[in-house]
Amino acid sequence: MKKNKTMMFCFLAPAVTLFLVIFLYPIVRTVMMSFFKIDGVTDSISLWHFTGIDNYLKLLQTSLFRTSMWNLFRIWFVGGLIVMGLALLFAVILTSGIRFKSTFRAIIYLPNVVSAVALATMWLQSVYSPQFGHITTFFKAIGWEAAANIQWLDAEHKFWALMFAYCFGMVGYHMLIFASGIERISGDYFEAATLDGANKIQQFTNITLPLLKGIIRTNITMWSVSCVGFFVWSQLFSSVTADNQTIVPMVYMYAQMFGAGNTVTERNAGLSAAIGVLLSICVVIIFTVANKALNDDDIEF
Amino acid sequence: MAKEKEKAIKDKINWKKELKLAPGYLILLIWVLLTVLLLGWVVMASLSTTKDIFAGNVNKFSFPSGLHFENFSKAWLGQGVATFFVNSLVYSVCSCTLLILVCAPAAYVLSRFPFKGSKLIETSFVSAMGVPVIMIVLPLFVLISQMGVLNNILANRVALVVLYVGINVPYTTIFLLTFFGNISRAFEEAAAIDGCSPMKTFWQIMFPMAQPGIITVTIFNFINIWNEYFLSLILANSDKVKPVAVGLYGMINSMKYTGNWAGMFAAVVIVFLPTFILYIFLSEKIIAGVTGGGVKG
Repeated sequence: MKKNKTMMFCFLAPAVTLFLVIFLYPIVRTVMMSFFKIDGVTDSISLWHFTGIDNYLKLLQTSLFRTSMWNLFRIWFVGGLIVMGLALLFAVILTSGIRFKSTFRAIIYLPNVVSAVALATMWLQSVYSPQFGHITTFFKAIGWEAAANIQWLDAEHKFWALMFAYCFGMVGYHMLIFASGIERISGDYFEAATLDGANKIQQFTNITLPLLKGIIRTNITMWSVSCVGFFVWSQLFSSVTADNQTIVPMVYMYAQMFGAGNTVTERNAGLSAAIGVLLSICVVIIFTVANKALNDDDIEF
Repeated sequence: MAKEKEKAIKDKINWKKELKLAPGYLILLIWVLLTVLLLGWVVMASLSTTKDIFAGNVNKFSFPSGLHFENFSKAWLGQGVATFFVNSLVYSVCSCTLLILVCAPAAYVLSRFPFKGSKLIETSFVSAMGVPVIMIVLPLFVLISQMGVLNNILANRVALVVLYVGINVPYTTIFLLTFFGNISRAFEEAAAIDGCSPMKTFWQIMFPMAQPGIITVTIFNFINIWNEYFLSLILANSDKVKPVAVGLYGMINSMKYTGNWAGMFAAVVIVFLPTFILYIFLSEKIIAGVTGGGVKG
């Protein structure tokens, strides 16, 4: 038994140590930092000035930060509806018994393994390009000049261009999760429903959707987590200084902390920490609400 | 004869079914074509010239001046892609190996020997998977810069690898945990009767048996680490230590000004090629991994 204990210790120690150093300690320190005014990020704790919730108030009064939160919310909500809708649609089609299922599935998931920097560059420099872009070329080919002349990357369209490009890559991942959930539902239910005369749509709304509650919850959680980490796309779609159209909290934080330009109002690492805490609170709220609203404990299958 | 008839009937039924599914096929086909066209266009553009790209020749699938493979060699040698590429390769391989050495034993203990606190460790790891990077990046930056790591190339590389490993510990452990849980206990019992020590049992019996899970999670870690951006952006100080994703960002910015579009697309292709090739060969494994035990709400 004693031998077992040494083994357990040796086996667990590295993983737990890494967790403590890379997750727990930074989380505690970030929460602490958010209540202090800290001139230089590397300052020792003795140089911090306690300011209570000043950092949070200051952030909420900064219009650029509010814009960044609004942008993130729109990406999460509108983008989420688009991604979940398409993902669920594709998942239903994939599991309906079509041929070439694995080929379709593999290609739809493909963008998820490609570097986001490469993907964003592809959209920016080729799809949305006003000179040789696919959209412009397409509209020119069908002779719709007005649509061909739209500048997809000007202030008016940039946000939606960004969001669509991001959603395009995310559909595959959520589709896979939906599809695995649908495949787990026993075929007996559908057979019984067919015998009782329910059509495909009735079967979908009355059998598939209710049984997918847990899967929907997983998808919402994963989507929220990836949205909060929204950074690369925004940085690539923005010009050098912060861009009202595409700024998100993480980009704001990065510029505030490490960059220059119009986001730097004051050197205060506490502000950056407060952004992190605010975003984490958002994740926790979404997670709790999703858990409550989509509780599938009463369903067994 | 009878067999053929049976087959014919089967085909007929299938055709009816396929017809019903036609709208589904159409929707998926459009999406798949879009994906292939978008990525394919980048590959074609990388083999073309800037002049041809702007003339719209690539859109017509034509290459008036032939294929320009030299775009790749130029980007590889001239633009520093080689350095970034090798960096990323070293980081990914080292991190993936370390991750398995760290997480497989931990997952094994957590799944086999429940003790006071093992549930706490498990829950902590699951929650850590939802922690945004922005929540942990500042103290990590402080920690690393205070150690004076950022001015030393080797130390900077080591710090990056340690970070990549640490960030992926919760996911890897939780993924392997469910995997070890599914392996029968009979093997360990037999080994114990033969007098094999628990540690030896793990490395010689359980570790090899967990190989399918270890391979899947390693592919995921490789792709994640290869594509990692934010931490590297903040913590990779010089061009010598930058991984591909961050390096590519810098290159794209400079190539926009020099106007070398073909070269830029070549760089993009070089960056996404490794994960793409991995995916072509292992897509079934990767897809099974996404939908397997690894994903937890």
